[in-house]
Amino acid sequence: MNGLESRRWSTRTIIWIALAIAIVLYAFPFVYMLFTSFKIPIETNAIPPKILPSVWTIDNYVKALQTDGVVASFINSIDTAVISTLLSLVLAVPAAYAVTRYRTRLGRVFILLALVMRMVPAIVVGTPLITVFHNLGMSDTSVALAIAQTTISLPLSIWLMASFFESVPTELEEAARVDGCSRLSALWRVILPVTKGGIAVTAIFAFLASWNDFIFALLLTSVRAVTTPVMIANFQSQFGLDWGTMTALSVLYSIPVILLTLALQRHIVAGLTLGSVKG
Amino acid sequence: MSDKRFAAWLLFPAALFLAVFVAWPLVRFITDSFFTYNPISDGPHKFVGFANYVETFTSPAFANSAWRTVAYTVIVVFFEFALGLIVALLFTSLGNASRVFRTVFLYPLMIAPIVAGLLWRFLLIDNSGIVNQLLYEAHLIPSPDAIGWLSDPNVALFAIALPDIWLTTSFITLVLFAGLQNIPADVLEAARIDGARYPTLLVRIVIPMLRPVIAVALIVRGVDAARAFDTIVVMTNGGPQNSTETLSLLVYNTQIANGDPGLASAMGTVYLVGMLLASVAAVMLIWRPGSEDR
Repeated sequence: MNGLESRRWSTRTIIWIALAIAIVLYAFPFVYMLFTSFKIPIETNAIPPKILPSVWTIDNYVKALQTDGVVASFINSIDTAVISTLLSLVLAVPAAYAVTRYRTRLGRVFILLALVMRMVPAIVVGTPLITVFHNLGMSDTSVALAIAQTTISLPLSIWLMASFFESVPTELEEAARVDGCSRLSALWRVILPVTKGGIAVTAIFAFLASWNDFIFALLLTSVRAVTTPVMIANFQSQFGLDWGTMTALSVLYSIPVILLTLALQRHIVAGLTLGSVKG
Repeated sequence: MSDKRFAAWLLFPAALFLAVFVAWPLVRFITDSFFTYNPISDGPHKFVGFANYVETFTSPAFANSAWRTVAYTVIVVFFEFALGLIVALLFTSLGNASRVFRTVFLYPLMIAPIVAGLLWRFLLIDNSGIVNQLLYEAHLIPSPDAIGWLSDPNVALFAIALPDIWLTTSFITLVLFAGLQNIPADVLEAARIDGARYPTLLVRIVIPMLRPVIAVALIVRGVDAARAFDTIVVMTNGGPQNSTETLSLLVYNTQIANGDPGLASAMGTVYLVGMLLASVAAVMLIWRPGSEDR
């Protein structure tokens, strides 16, 4: 029991009620969006606005999915996020391992530079990347977008993986080496299996960084590789303010991450707090 | 192969990636700031020396934007920290029983900022926004259009901070909660036996012991808030009357809408340097890295 835990029943009840109210308020925006996505058009802009729809309809969802490019944008979002996650892991895992296991000066400089890169505003890297990908013949492709998004997720992945490797005892690797493993196969066959959980956490965060990215998608895609966040933003300029369709599409786009959170919440909390608390 | 060599090889792919896709673009970006050219016709680059920097520093738009970015960051970080700390302490008071609440608190963190921005625009929109309607029904404001969240230049900067606060207060809460769990119970117990009450415990023991965690949370959030783009673009696109045009938006608009990459690069470079200096200052001031390894 933590020393700050309250032991009096009356206090605990009051806190419970206060938190319950806070949660309701906190969830309200999202719930309201959910309700709006089931309203008929005339009610989404009604003055005064009502919380619940008077008639429930799935028309907004049908309309959103029938809009040109929406389904393709979903597929693009998935493709891009998968590529970016894999890229992030492939680059971050060996780098983080090198930094934690071999504490060379190069490693220290590297991890510090990676941290500095996290502070670079996306717009500053994004605009020159337009030219870079144009020169590489990769304009408007999911791979180019995934690479751009990895510039954001890689530093974070390296830091996360470094804290996970930190908790693996060096004896484990030494034992494998004594048994005749090379350094590389010790990493692959002994260290990686015990850090599976950490790799999963890192993957989730890399996936989310890509899935939720808007600015790189805005700068680097135009037709073929457009992702759903750009589609959602376009809805408001193209079709006026069609709130029903926009909220429906927003709900659809949030479902995968909500499911992901539901399935992996423990890992996510671990990932969020690990780097910061140990830092 | 020596260990040192082996480590260097493991670092190589990530280092190469960051060099090609972060450092090289950065070099190009900074180089661009000394030139002027038309991005559409891809015309010749004309070297103009520090002219773009002179324009940046004398432009009222840049100064105003920089000021707004600082104000926005302070608003966001202040509210997130205040709310985050309160909720983390409430969670801690409940101990394990708070698990249900902690789970729900996780969800906003997963929502795309673009969705959050759009959602809050819908909640706050003039005439038919639900927030004003609820405030009106609670008799807190005289009419449903009393607060022009997105149309009043004096209010809009607070309005665009709302989705950010909504999305990431949870981050501070969860990080502080984890930090609170690491405070040794016997220290608190000893203080209690000496007669210290909750407020004293908080100010004298809890906050000082949480200092490194608080520092990391504030720096991470501060850096992210200073880079905010998505939520602002969808909510106001910098308006009304530029009152929400932060530096990210100014650089974007100068680059894309006004087609002046040279000036945009100079502004972006100053923005970048400012962020790095502010982060270093923040680390020195609140973190004060001690003798520890990292």
